[in-house]
Amino acid sequence: MPSIVAAEQLSKTFQVKVRDPGLQGALRALFRPRYRDVHAVRDVTFRIDPGEIVAFLGPNGAGKTTTLKMLAGLLYPTSGRVEAAGFNPWTGGPPFKRRIALVLGNRQQLVWDLPPEETFLLNRAIYDIAEGDYRERLAELVTLLELGDVLQKPVRQLSLGERMKCELVASLLHRPPLLFLDEPTLGLDVTAQDAIRRFLTEYRDRHGATVLLTSHYMQDVTALASRVLMINRGRLLYDGALEALVARIARTKRIELVLGARGGGGGDGNRVTAEALAAFGAVKSFRFPNAVLEVRREDAPATSARLLAAFSVADLSIEDPPIEEVIRLAFARGVEEEE
Amino acid sequence: MIRRYAALIRNAWLVDLQYRASIVLWLLWGVTEPAIALGIWWAIAGEGQIAGYARADFARYFFAVMLINQLTIAWDSWYLDRWIRDGDLNYRLARPLHPAHEAVAENLAYKARTASVILVVWLLVAVVWPAVRLPLAPGRWAITAVAVLLAAAMRFFISFTTGLLAFWTTRATAIMELHAGVSLFLAGRIAPLALLPPAVAGVAGALWFRSMLAFPVDLLTGAVHGTDAIVRGLVGQLVWLAVWIGAYRLAWTRGLRKYGAVGG
Repeated sequence: MPSIVAAEQLSKTFQVKVRDPGLQGALRALFRPRYRDVHAVRDVTFRIDPGEIVAFLGPNGAGKTTTLKMLAGLLYPTSGRVEAAGFNPWTGGPPFKRRIALVLGNRQQLVWDLPPEETFLLNRAIYDIAEGDYRERLAELVTLLELGDVLQKPVRQLSLGERMKCELVASLLHRPPLLFLDEPTLGLDVTAQDAIRRFLTEYRDRHGATVLLTSHYMQDVTALASRVLMINRGRLLYDGALEALVARIARTKRIELVLGARGGGGGDGNRVTAEALAAFGAVKSFRFPNAVLEVRREDAPATSARLLAAFSVADLSIEDPPIEEVIRLAFARGVEEEE
Repeated sequence: MIRRYAALIRNAWLVDLQYRASIVLWLLWGVTEPAIALGIWWAIAGEGQIAGYARADFARYFFAVMLINQLTIAWDSWYLDRWIRDGDLNYRLARPLHPAHEAVAENLAYKARTASVILVVWLLVAVVWPAVRLPLAPGRWAITAVAVLLAAAMRFFISFTTGLLAFWTTRATAIMELHAGVSLFLAGRIAPLALLPPAVAGVAGALWFRSMLAFPVDLLTGAVHGTDAIVRGLVGQLVWLAVWIGAYRLAWTRGLRKYGAVGG
């Protein structure tokens, strides 16, 4: 299957004016401006297949959005090659733009003073959507996003969640096969975030669209993305499944225990102590009847068996450490050195 | 493309209708400046003439300025500056429609509503005040329409291109303000060019300022006559229009490469 997105050795360098503080600095900058190169993206290479949902992971300023904007044709790469939806985004022109959607969580295309439907009608004209297609797609999107009665209300009276849903409608009426979403759930409450995640998965399943997104919310990534591209300081640190990243970074697993009414086993008969648990692994938290132990990945099954034998256990589960912690570790230590 | 323009203009008008007060304010602004200029020249002229202009000539001149300025004015540098600096250009670049089309549509919407009101006001005033009546001359009006179209196109490209300077500087609108200040004198907004010192009027004619406003105004009032003068004026407009289109193309292609696309 040919890739729908291919980036090769993609780099973007911005020139940023540097200025010393104070009036003197300002004057000097006026007459003799100095520039510093900021390497926002450096030699990034990856390919994405049709139908994939891929998330860019990285701290603020890592280069996620810059990469996304180069793929969407907004930014001109300093060097390297991009192909998206069969086009060079920079020279693809209208045929390329008909095949993509760009949704920016912090910018809106909806006309602020008018009901969202007016923006939809405008996009119908801009994308030359036939009347029948327009009605059918609008009905589908409105149902999937549960938008009911907001289409006639002025945008300024809509909640943030309703606005983002309408942004998605406006961006998907021309049914693009490739979606670029920059922070699509930014600032939304949990319910709205969840609705948008469910929608994106459903939309992909129905229409086979490819989705590239950036997000600060790990929930977006775990719920949506089959694959993550981890970027830090402009470099691609990791490209692959999230689970594989966790397995690579996290050398430990967590055993979460709910102890039975009679603790049994060690100690004074029916009280389990932290000391008794410490013999099995690092105790991360303990408050009877709940306990969390951290053990080496490969030891997890054996240790679980020993715990079950030693104590009366009501419930036991083996978990990966929280994804946020894994990501934090990955950025702090780098990915490669874990191999 | 017609369907797209219809949709863009429709939205612009729908937004306008939300802000009825601002329409009145813009109109007042468009009327006040020429009205004040007229008042001053009316007083100075008295019963005599200045450089061939009597009171009635000034009245016709400034009514024509009022109308043609509204028909040719362009606010695009302010929009462009905001789009570029706030990142609102991003989604416009992702659509299969050049952002300039949206700007042109906005211009058509704005001009249609303000100019039509001014035209009605002019007609009503002309009923009671013979001084502002124009001689019936359909041929001249037709040539004026062409000159107005050229002036509007040129002012659009000047404004759009100046707005594009926001790719490089945060002071793009200040440059446009400066241009507006200079054009107050050189384009004939404050006085007919015939009243300016010859050297200054020469500069206005050599540069694009006369083509922006004074030339179509003088065409309408009859101050430009003779095929030669008319052709020379139109050719001047065409040349400067071509220059500004060139400047726009340069700024657009260079600017996009320079674009930082704000955010992230």
